[in-house]
Amino acid sequence: MIEYDSVTKIFGAGKTAVTATDSVTFTIEAGETAVFLGPSGCGKTTLLRMTNRLESVTRGSIRVQGRDIMEMNVQQLRLGMGYVIQQIGLFPNKTIAGNIAVVPRMLKWDKRRIDERIDELLRIVKLDPEIYRNRYPVELSGGQQQRVGVARALAADPDILLMDEPFGAIDPINRHQIQDEFLKLQAQLKKTIAFVSHDIHEAIKMADKIAIFKDGKLVQFDTPEIILMRPASKFVSDFVGADRALKVLGLLKVRDAMNREPRNVIQGEFTAEEALRFMEDNNFRHLIVLRENRVLGFVTRRQLKYEQGRVEELVEKFPEELTAREPLRDALSAMLMHDLMSFPVLDDSGGFSGTISYRYIQKSILELYSESQDD
Amino acid sequence: MSLWVFLQDNLSMALFLTWEHLWMVGLSLLIAIVTGVPLGILITKNRKLAQKVIGGANVIMTIPSIALFGLMLPLLAVFGHGLGKVPAIIALVLYSELPIIRNTYIAIKNVDPALVDAGRGMGMTKWQLLREVEIPLAIPVIIAGLRTAAVMIIGIAAIAAYVGAGGLGVFIQQGIARSHEAMVLAGALGVSLLAIVVDLGMGFLERRLTPRGVKA
Ligand SMILES: Nc1ncnc2c1ncn2[C@@H]1O[C@H](COP(=O)(O)OP(=O)(O)OP(=O)(O)O)[C@@H](O)[C@H]1O
Ligand SMILES: [Mg+2]
Repeated sequence: MIEYDSVTKIFGAGKTAVTATDSVTFTIEAGETAVFLGPSGCGKTTLLRMTNRLESVTRGSIRVQGRDIMEMNVQQLRLGMGYVIQQIGLFPNKTIAGNIAVVPRMLKWDKRRIDERIDELLRIVKLDPEIYRNRYPVELSGGQQQRVGVARALAADPDILLMDEPFGAIDPINRHQIQDEFLKLQAQLKKTIAFVSHDIHEAIKMADKIAIFKDGKLVQFDTPEIILMRPASKFVSDFVGADRALKVLGLLKVRDAMNREPRNVIQGEFTAEEALRFMEDNNFRHLIVLRENRVLGFVTRRQLKYEQGRVEELVEKFPEELTAREPLRDALSAMLMHDLMSFPVLDDSGGFSGTISYRYIQKSILELYSESQDD
Repeated sequence: MSLWVFLQDNLSMALFLTWEHLWMVGLSLLIAIVTGVPLGILITKNRKLAQKVIGGANVIMTIPSIALFGLMLPLLAVFGHGLGKVPAIIALVLYSELPIIRNTYIAIKNVDPALVDAGRGMGMTKWQLLREVEIPLAIPVIIAGLRTAAVMIIGIAAIAAYVGAGGLGVFIQQGIARSHEAMVLAGALGVSLLAIVVDLGMGFLERRLTPRGVKA
């Protein structure tokens, strides 16, 4: 847990004084990721650097695991927090293994334990220890270096991670990948994380809570959903962007909006004639065809007209498969791309578990919006 | 060829003077390293001090060597060392300081501040940071400074023969006095050869001691 209590930082004095953070108060709960978000110069890095005392606090206090950081030994404080800097900062004169070993060595771990830990961490960040252990940072791509930076911060298994734009230096494709991997990792590790970002998409994806800053002041501290659906000020709504409803779609999963008991479903052994009648009676435009809870495809009225035989022989396959765990944004994108009003949703073992449609997506957004209005 | 004949006749003398030259230079460099490198590191913590120290070393550099020997003579004469190896070595040390201090200072200052930040943020002490990161990264530039100093003082040491320090300068000095061309040539070529060999050797050292991950 990290508690910021009226934290103020003033650089310089007199006329040239700059207030980098201004009476900032909020708490990052144990096991949660708080993303510090805001425009350049709003004090995100400064707040992070005060947390491990790389900058002093002008007024106010910071408590880590309940203890005032000023009462702790500064080396001890830092050894207990993994630190990832924006510029990656791997030591070029040390191998990858040497870089990861820095903190364990300071903690006087024995050599075997350190070596094992290095390999374990390299595997965690998806770098083959055999290949990368003895390489130097210059021999790695930016993305690989960033992975090593994360591994180095995790080396001694600290409870707290301070990360300053840790994935800033990589191209978008790799960034998404490393973000996904980090999320999976965090789901197991449950670290308390202070994460600086200036990218709203990254914040929405990584955060349990987002802290939005403006000119050194904390303007909102809330879950991503609430920040998106009920921004506290014009500044926040401008910052999250006019497309915030679309961003919510990136946050919500198919399972949050899907129809679990769809009626426009038919078993493959029915005849085309029966299916057509079923559609006309219920005014369905298309049916999803199943056999043994597997999705075979879909049929439309036009397809079935003048046809005989069983529907399973007449199906058209769905161009994409959607699972319950995918973001709604991807589902919507699939619908737009393929001009289909609804898609079947598969569970983890590939079985049919419901459908997702425009109407259900819209309903879930409106629900979320009204929830956040009255809480 | 008269140079060849001269060398054949005076081989043991030539070898002795070369050896004498080398150890004067070597000892001076050693003293300059153990004083200059720590001083160069120390002044990275204080800009004002750095300006003074480097400025001072710069002033020494501008004094012509023959004048420096002249200036030291009355001072050292008090201790009975106005002539000989002592003033020579003191002068060589003083001349070496500037490239060594300056290069050390610049090399440490030029270490990427992000690395210092990362190290401190991970809990490294100043000393750990210096030993594990800053010095290893500064090594190539420090050695480049040594190389400059070495080549320079090999030349200056030749002039030290005028204060009776010995070394290859003896051939040059006596050769001129006696108008013995081959002798002057032997001294001059010897000093030049020494400078070239030492330069190559230090270049090799520079490459060897550059941390692998830092090589371009
Ligand atoms: N060492 C310093 N001395 C003086 N002013 C500083 C110092 N560090 C930061 N500042 C000032 O404090 C303010 C906040 O800076 P900070 O680096 O925390 O911003 P940031 O939110 O991290 O910005 P960015 O997104 O560009 O990294 C800025 O106005 C900056 O100029
Ligand atoms: Mg910053």
